[in-house]
Amino acid sequence: MKKTLYLLLAVGLVAPAKKFYTDDPLLVEPKNRNVPTVENRKLSDIYDLFSHQLTNLGERHPVNGPPIRAKAVNTLGEPMDGAWWERRHYYNRMSAEELKRGPGNENFPSMDGKWTIISAKNEGVTPGFTIRDSRKRLYFIKFDPVTNPEMATSSDSIVSRIFYALGYHVPENDVVYFAPSQLAIGDDATVMDKKGLPRKMTREDVDLIFAKVPMAKDGKYRATASLGLPGKPVGPPRYYGTRTDDPNDVVPHEHRRDLRGLHVVDAWIDHDDSRAINNLDILYKDGDTQYLKHFMLDLGSTLGSGTEVANSARSGSYFFSWKDSAKQLFTLGLVPPYWAFAKFPDLPSVGRFEWKVFDPEKWVPEYPNPAFRNRLPDDEFWAAKQVASFTDEDLKVIISTGQLSDPKASAWLLECLSKRRDKIGKAYFAKVLPLDRFQVTGDELRWVDLAVKGNYLPAATVTMQWFAFDNEAEKKTPLSGQTSAKLPLNSGKPFEGYYGMTISNTKNPKQTVDVYLRGNRVIGIDRNW
Amino acid sequence: MQLFLLSFLVFLASLFAQTPESRTAEIEAAKDAKAKTLQPEKVSKAENFLRRFKDEKQLEKFQGGVNGFRPKIGNMVTGGGFAGGIEYGRDDFMDGELTARASAQISTRLFQKYQVEALFPKLAKDRLAIDLIASHRNFGGLNFYGQGPDSRRTGRSNYRLEDTSFDGIVGLAPTKLWKVGSSLGYLMTNVGPGTDRRFISSDRQYSEAIAPGITQQTNFLRYSVFTQLDYRDSPTGTKSGGNYVFQHSWYQDQELSRFDFRRMDIDLEQHIPFLNRTRRIMLRAKGTFTETDNNKPVPFYLQPILGGSDDLRGYRFFRFTDRNAVVYNAEYRWEIFSGMDGALFFDAGKVMPRRSQLNFSNLETSAGFGLRFNALNATFLRLDVGFSQEGFQIWFKFNDFLNSRRFGTNTLQPAY
Repeated sequence: MKKTLYLLLAVGLVAPAKKFYTDDPLLVEPKNRNVPTVENRKLSDIYDLFSHQLTNLGERHPVNGPPIRAKAVNTLGEPMDGAWWERRHYYNRMSAEELKRGPGNENFPSMDGKWTIISAKNEGVTPGFTIRDSRKRLYFIKFDPVTNPEMATSSDSIVSRIFYALGYHVPENDVVYFAPSQLAIGDDATVMDKKGLPRKMTREDVDLIFAKVPMAKDGKYRATASLGLPGKPVGPPRYYGTRTDDPNDVVPHEHRRDLRGLHVVDAWIDHDDSRAINNLDILYKDGDTQYLKHFMLDLGSTLGSGTEVANSARSGSYFFSWKDSAKQLFTLGLVPPYWAFAKFPDLPSVGRFEWKVFDPEKWVPEYPNPAFRNRLPDDEFWAAKQVASFTDEDLKVIISTGQLSDPKASAWLLECLSKRRDKIGKAYFAKVLPLDRFQVTGDELRWVDLAVKGNYLPAATVTMQWFAFDNEAEKKTPLSGQTSAKLPLNSGKPFEGYYGMTISNTKNPKQTVDVYLRGNRVIGIDRNW
Repeated sequence: MQLFLLSFLVFLASLFAQTPESRTAEIEAAKDAKAKTLQPEKVSKAENFLRRFKDEKQLEKFQGGVNGFRPKIGNMVTGGGFAGGIEYGRDDFMDGELTARASAQISTRLFQKYQVEALFPKLAKDRLAIDLIASHRNFGGLNFYGQGPDSRRTGRSNYRLEDTSFDGIVGLAPTKLWKVGSSLGYLMTNVGPGTDRRFISSDRQYSEAIAPGITQQTNFLRYSVFTQLDYRDSPTGTKSGGNYVFQHSWYQDQELSRFDFRRMDIDLEQHIPFLNRTRRIMLRAKGTFTETDNNKPVPFYLQPILGGSDDLRGYRFFRFTDRNAVVYNAEYRWEIFSGMDGALFFDAGKVMPRRSQLNFSNLETSAGFGLRFNALNATFLRLDVGFSQEGFQIWFKFNDFLNSRRFGTNTLQPAY
């Protein structure tokens, strides 16, 4: 209580009193506070499951009253470039080469000299190694399960590039092929025995690991080489609250647009394993400042892959919900869930991925995610416009980085990603007025109807009303007769100060977009639905 | 008082709040404010405990035991109550080629079981396994209702079964799905008065004619051949595939030359999944048939039984006994949520004195419903409620229905 009051006191001294500042819209987060040191805090996946499944974590929308709009955004409604996210493909179209490169495909482990094993994961269906290459760079080497060669490694490679193009921070994940002779056991390399006790690693342990993973035709082994992140790992960020030891983490995660919107992205790629422990905070050094940078990890459980097996057909449904479980129990299973009707082609390198029964409005991860549950139509729109920005050609280029040997698998992935993208566009562009890319061209305000651009929906018929805006009082005054895209005039001269236009959907008047301008510059966008 | 003062300051601050000059200043002010309240991240004790429990493999250590010693739960005969004990086991002999175990268990009804086992599981590139088992069991109150399909529910009695066995089993896997094998063993048996005082002792209720071997027991040399075709997707959490087992055993009376018999076990199960394996039909047909030369009897305590949690679920365990038995099970399962399935089942079966009576007439039937609790792709607990003309039975079992027992020896099976 006292701490809250101290915080209110500090914040109260600089309480905002107007809608726009002169530096709006901020495209880049203000400089981060230096974080000298942070303890590595580990989380429990079991606790995470049960706490999210059985309790309401984070701040939820009030039952009565307006919902809590997304925070950590600028006045255009866009997250700012920073520790969580950066503007990329939607904002500045990436070339095929850039899409292919993703977070950087120039740092494959060096084949000059042996890879020294530091440690190994020898239990589980898909074991792996931590190695250093001859240039002393750290990599995590992860394999496919024997039942599904190429599945997890291709997902890791493809999805890390998709996430990168979407603006999220991800490690460099690349597909590599190597012979067991490439590996040397480090002097301090250990493995855990069956009872969890570490012991010195032997060549038999290495052989045992290779016996559990599929061999490629040429006798080499295929794996994902994930380059170690640049900084000290300090534990996963949760999908709610803030880190109490990070001065730059001031917005509760359940209210961050980049995390709320992630729901749509995860639905697209079927990342139902989106939980805290699959992300990681890194104490990242940038010049003379250290700050926490947030990375998405473990992307091998996507696109139909469950990493160790093909993903469950129940993907897109909570492990447990009272309502659905009661329905199944009392109907004796005679009303199957929608996903039970999905059909999957026999493509081991893809696993279980499809688009026909996929419904972005029904899709949920394995268990409730506070940020996803708080998403609003404008959060969904923000993510959907990014998803829709990938053309089939873009997707083809990215899928090629998965190096799938079966052309049918690549074609199926392309078909699924393309069709799922279209379903996302149709679903979420219908919930708000899907206008974006506002800019003044000549003497007109112009925009793009994203639903039309993607061929998802017919063009919305809209009405326009210019208004003068009192920035201090945050009051709009309609400008009489100013109802076209042409910029309003004030006594025959261009409007000075703040003004804007309200664009309303004639078929659904609740769907409006308020576009704010200062001079000829668009400085703010408010969406209502 | 302090809180009041702080609240007042907040109120004053809001009155005299300075408007930030820019959005940057506003965000930086928030960061500055947060910087003043920084504290190390805290993880709750419960979360920390669970993380360490998993990371430090406490469950595996518990199962692995201390210096090879670990608790052993269950795996006693049905009706014995909850069984617990201790096991000493090592799987690192001969560079992991040999697994050795020794265990002692006692149940809440004071049933006892002692077992020593040496297993070579991965010989000849995992295609050959050799298992040597010695076992002693002392079950004080096994049920016996008399022989034959017409045995009466009110005829419930109980007897003590004490046996000691030594068995060697060789299993060969010519292919991944197909196994063949053989066993050789020696079985010493003893039957005595039942210890369950709620029911009459079998020796007081039934004569030698009804319960062959009740007055005089013998030792057996036993050997068998068996074969198994198993293409289930997972033996512990089967959702598709089939498992077909056949075993033929010879029991040679070593002392009385009176109880020689042959026994044939056939167990066929099929799992038919649909709707992405969220629903499935499980079918099972199981038969046990014995035969003797010169109309010799089969000891009642080695005769096939029916009734209980693994076959006729609407009847008490050990409800029917005779020289031959068949049971048919059909179960429909559906997923309620990822950790629980519902089940509707129908069981039918009968015991018969003669194999010629094998047909679909006069079957005892039971039907019911159940729940299966699953974790890690296996059912770890099931609840079945079975109804029959003799009432209903409720079963809590720490295994799955159709969790096929190993063939090749009876020492790991409930008493037949």
